[in-house]
Amino acid sequence: MLLEVDQVAKSFGTDPAKVQVLQGVSLRLAAGETVALTGESGSGKSTLLHLCAGLDRPDQGQIRIDGADIGAQSDSGRAGMRRNAIGIVFQQFNLIPSLDVAANLAFQARMAGRLDAARIATLADRLGLADLLHRYPDQLSGGQQQRVAIGRALAGAPALILADEPTGNLDEATGAAVMDLMLDLVADAGAGLLMVTHSEKLAARMDRRLHLSSGRVA
Amino acid sequence: MSLRQSARLAGRELRGGLRGFYVFLVCLALGVAAIAAVGTVRESVEQGMRGQGAVLLGGDAELRFTYRFASDEERDWMRRNADAVSEIVDFRSMAVVGAQPDEERALTQVKGVDDAWPLYGQPVLDPPMSLADALAGNGAVMDRVLVDRLGLRPGDTFRLGTAEYELRAILAVEPDSAGSGFSLGPRTIVRTAALDGSGLLAPGTLYESRYRLKLPEGSDLAALEAQAEALFRDTGLRWRDSRNAAPGLSRFVERMGAFLVLVGLAGLAVGGVGVSAAVRSYLDGKTAVIATLKTLGATRRVIFLTYFLQIGALAVLGIAAGVVLGGTLPLLLAPLIAAKLPLPVDFALQPGALAEAALYGLLTALIFTLWPLSRAQGVRAAALYRDAAGGVRGRPGLGALAAIALSALALVVIAAQLSGVAYLTYWAAAGIVGALVILWIASFLVRRLARRAARSAAVRGHPALRLALGAVAGPGGEAASVVLSLGLGLSVLAAVGQIDTNLRAAISGELPEVAPSYFMVDIQPDQLAGFLDRTGSDPGISRVDTAPMLRGVITRINGKPAREVAGNHWVLRGDRGVTYAAAPPPNTRVTQGDWWPADYTGEPLMSFAEEEALEMGLKLGDRVTVNILGRDITARITSFREVDFSTAGIGFVMVLDPAALQGAPHTHIATVYADAAAEAPLLRDLARAYPNLTAIRVRDAVDRVAGILGGMASAITYGALASLVAGFFVLIGAAAAGLKARVFEASVLKVLGAERLLILRSFALRAVILGAAAGLVAVLAGGLAGWAVMRFVMEADFHFEPLSAALIVGGGIAATLLAGLAFAWPALAGRPAQVLRGRE
Amino acid sequence: MTTPMLSLRDVHLTLSGNAGAVDILHGISLDVQPGESMGLVGPSGSGKSSLLMVMGGLERATGGQVQAMGHDLSAMNEDALARFRNGHVGVVFQSFHLIPTMTALENVATPLELSGDRDAFDKARAALQAVGLGARVDHYPAQMSGGEQQRVALARATAPEPQLLLADEPTGNLDGANGAAIMDLLFDLRDRYGATLVMVTHAPELAARCDRVVRLRDGRIDADAAERDAAE
Repeated sequence: MLLEVDQVAKSFGTDPAKVQVLQGVSLRLAAGETVALTGESGSGKSTLLHLCAGLDRPDQGQIRIDGADIGAQSDSGRAGMRRNAIGIVFQQFNLIPSLDVAANLAFQARMAGRLDAARIATLADRLGLADLLHRYPDQLSGGQQQRVAIGRALAGAPALILADEPTGNLDEATGAAVMDLMLDLVADAGAGLLMVTHSEKLAARMDRRLHLSSGRVA
Repeated sequence: MSLRQSARLAGRELRGGLRGFYVFLVCLALGVAAIAAVGTVRESVEQGMRGQGAVLLGGDAELRFTYRFASDEERDWMRRNADAVSEIVDFRSMAVVGAQPDEERALTQVKGVDDAWPLYGQPVLDPPMSLADALAGNGAVMDRVLVDRLGLRPGDTFRLGTAEYELRAILAVEPDSAGSGFSLGPRTIVRTAALDGSGLLAPGTLYESRYRLKLPEGSDLAALEAQAEALFRDTGLRWRDSRNAAPGLSRFVERMGAFLVLVGLAGLAVGGVGVSAAVRSYLDGKTAVIATLKTLGATRRVIFLTYFLQIGALAVLGIAAGVVLGGTLPLLLAPLIAAKLPLPVDFALQPGALAEAALYGLLTALIFTLWPLSRAQGVRAAALYRDAAGGVRGRPGLGALAAIALSALALVVIAAQLSGVAYLTYWAAAGIVGALVILWIASFLVRRLARRAARSAAVRGHPALRLALGAVAGPGGEAASVVLSLGLGLSVLAAVGQIDTNLRAAISGELPEVAPSYFMVDIQPDQLAGFLDRTGSDPGISRVDTAPMLRGVITRINGKPAREVAGNHWVLRGDRGVTYAAAPPPNTRVTQGDWWPADYTGEPLMSFAEEEALEMGLKLGDRVTVNILGRDITARITSFREVDFSTAGIGFVMVLDPAALQGAPHTHIATVYADAAAEAPLLRDLARAYPNLTAIRVRDAVDRVAGILGGMASAITYGALASLVAGFFVLIGAAAAGLKARVFEASVLKVLGAERLLILRSFALRAVILGAAAGLVAVLAGGLAGWAVMRFVMEADFHFEPLSAALIVGGGIAATLLAGLAFAWPALAGRPAQVLRGRE
Repeated sequence: MTTPMLSLRDVHLTLSGNAGAVDILHGISLDVQPGESMGLVGPSGSGKSSLLMVMGGLERATGGQVQAMGHDLSAMNEDALARFRNGHVGVVFQSFHLIPTMTALENVATPLELSGDRDAFDKARAALQAVGLGARVDHYPAQMSGGEQQRVALARATAPEPQLLLADEPTGNLDGANGAAIMDLLFDLRDRYGATLVMVTHAPELAARCDRVVRLRDGRIDADAAERDAAE
């Protein structure tokens, strides 16, 4: 099983302002599966995604990727896991401003020692970025930046893709085009995809769907 | 109308607080404070010297004669016009202690005084006693340095020439010492009457007699000066009065002050870079507001005025802070400074100096803020829209460029006028501008190179390095700020370092190779043969040059007063050595005209040193009148000579034909080139045979000069450090400004799986690259400046000094590393989720 | 047929950016009638915001003619355009763009001050009351919610009673309830002053409230889509 989330709970803040964001959430994701994570804002979707990425530790419960418990690893171990096994796509793109498109695409893969120039070139072509390789992020439109972000996430051929409202900052048409591309590429790569979205249309395109409400699976 | 609107808008904008302007204020305040402080000290010294003029001089006025005492006519005039007259005689000699073979000999500047000395001020003796007691009979007082050197105690005896004197007390304070100028030997004071029989004041020996006058209250010094000059112009008299008691010292203080102000201006330039960066970053943050105002109908003028007034108000604040700091700090540190300076200082608030500093601050603020302000005008309303293509800002108008150029020009011209060293100021300004241009180009090149390097194969597998290179190359403009500000400060340091080490090498290293071991003066004509005998027969002496020596003052050129023709040239200031020779002396080359035949008798002819002649505007055939021993000799220039003064050998500005000086009493001087082993025996023998002979050890003199140069270099280095401090603040400002971006980047990196060490390494590498770039350019600029100064000003060789260069590059790297890493911690410690979610 | 409020003839817009010259608009021609409300829709990068800017004199067309309220905008320099805007055009942005160092009252008064209006602050107070923020006049934007800030922005845009109202995704940064309230307020104010409204949006339901919808694609008016819309 690629991703296993077991009764995970997470809260922020301290009494009396403590907020219980997640209360015993479980899910399973196999390689090649696509799962949509939906729910109202504040329901804990993004928090769950961050926990799956190892960017934070759950208060209770376990998260395992390919059988390895994230919570049991050191900072260094989790960083390594992100490098090698996970690609993340954000709503706000989050490219590195001081690197050009080509460098952004290759960065994570390079750091992980999994650079495959041919794969990156193919990705760049399919994402329509071939002419933009030497531009900097601030010279690109929103749609273009998101495509770079997707390329970056897939460049290292990770096993798991985590996406947090990837089309939230794009208009309808652009968003749809980007979504098509991403789903195609994920399918080609055989990766697992966990995507947070508040669009019913997008959720409907996934294999499965998990709905969160007040920190619980509904 | 738009002014009032803009003022209102500016006022509202100021509500935003000073955040982002701390660097702006600090840079401006520091630069202005440095200049204000230097100016305050300089003015205080000059005020002190003016106030103490009479004490410095030893009288309200002074008449000076070389080689002779005043004539009866001259004495009459003095007695008629003054309430009191004090006569002193000043000359060089050797103080000798002990008997052969264990004699101790030291160079001393002897002052013979009369009962009236001093007219002003009081000497301080140790142990305390009255001056009359100390000098009664053959009593003497000596400077502490000399006493220590000779190992004397009060009560011991020593010899000057052939006479014996008893040391009664140590001279702790000599009231008119500063007015005497620079001397190679420490002071000994005896009564003039006690010098009879010492053989030291024989005709032809070089001594100076000075007559200090105490004038009645309300005397018109200018009128008296005119009268004296009119009556005694052709007698070689020189006048000085308390209005300018120590012109050489005054000039020195003025020069040093001007130097330091120039260095301060360099510091202000560095601060200017910081100011510019702060304004740019502030206005970048105001892009949306400016675009909004434009959307609402504000014209370019309103926009410009709004931010001009706002930034102007802050600039005034910074300048005021600087003026207060720089004007009061010297007053607070007054006791410390006064102890260090051997000059009378009158510490007070110096409004003139403060106004000067404020003016420079204002002009600098204008120069460095007009560009970003003008660019802000060009913000397009499009900046407010998402997906805005086409960039956000237009180009600044030509008007702004013109205003900047004019302000810069005004700054340089005013600085040149106020400093009194216009020539130097223009060169320094050119140097600063040149350095800034070079640095700006360098920052451009560094970014280009970094961009290429970031893409090259060489950095594969080194993600930290690639990130660092990308950061240096990428958009943001931090590279320029760092390289410019740090680079300028380091360049000044580098230049000072190279010049200082080269000068010292030239003086202490190369010079002794070619310089003689000893300069011997006051060799009487009847002693010359014996002298040459002794030195000629000594195998340890490789060379001896001798020349007859007289001293004279140039009073007229072609019949007109010399000062009118050639201004204040150094040759006219004071008396000069004059010699005669039948044939051109060794080491001189006739460049124009003809030498006289060996047996020439006719009207007096002169050969002049070429470089000085050209500077003074003299031509072959001009007639120069020299007053020697009270007698005018007018000689026609028939040739120019090339004289190399740099070897510290014998070099005369003027050489006359032998017949012209027939019968004039004079002594001889000699330069002796001896091995170290031969020196002591030589001195012993000569002292025994010719007790009046004075031997000046060139190495001692050189060390003394080197010491002074070293002191000056230190002062200038401290000044340069001020510009470095300003540069460091700019660094910190740049690091702080870039913090948000760095935190963002670190968060993204963490998400991508980068370890914290990698992120830290990339920050460190970025700092190292920028620091190294700044340091390298600084070394280059400093080396260039050093080469220029040595080659064109000193006319000496230049050798690149690698140690100071390495230190500077290292220092640059350390500084950027420190500033960069200081801000790295918050970047590393941030929680990625928060940061990434919050970013627009 | 009355004189159009806005008349664009073969308008081209080329901008030079970081990556060279970019052609944004390729020959746009259209008229906007006085009092009309027009929606500009299209995919990202189609130039709709740029077209809005050209209409309001915030951007000068590089080719073609732009006539607005009898003024030839293509012949005016930047300062003249600013003065033109001041009296005639009100703009509402997606990100509100209130000036953070000014109170709500000062923000709304600014365009009136810039035109030298002596009653600027009185009119501003009235405008804020009209949007329901009469009690918040002395608050700073930072103290207000998104919805309140956009209402202040509306007040600012309408206080000078402009003839042309431009809105660039005015509800883009607001949630459902606030967005609906702003939309109502916008159309309400427009009705009150009889202004012409041109609005860029990518929400179909907002475009539907407009009298006319113009669809842009790649810097040109998408004629096919217009036909399709007309046919529906």
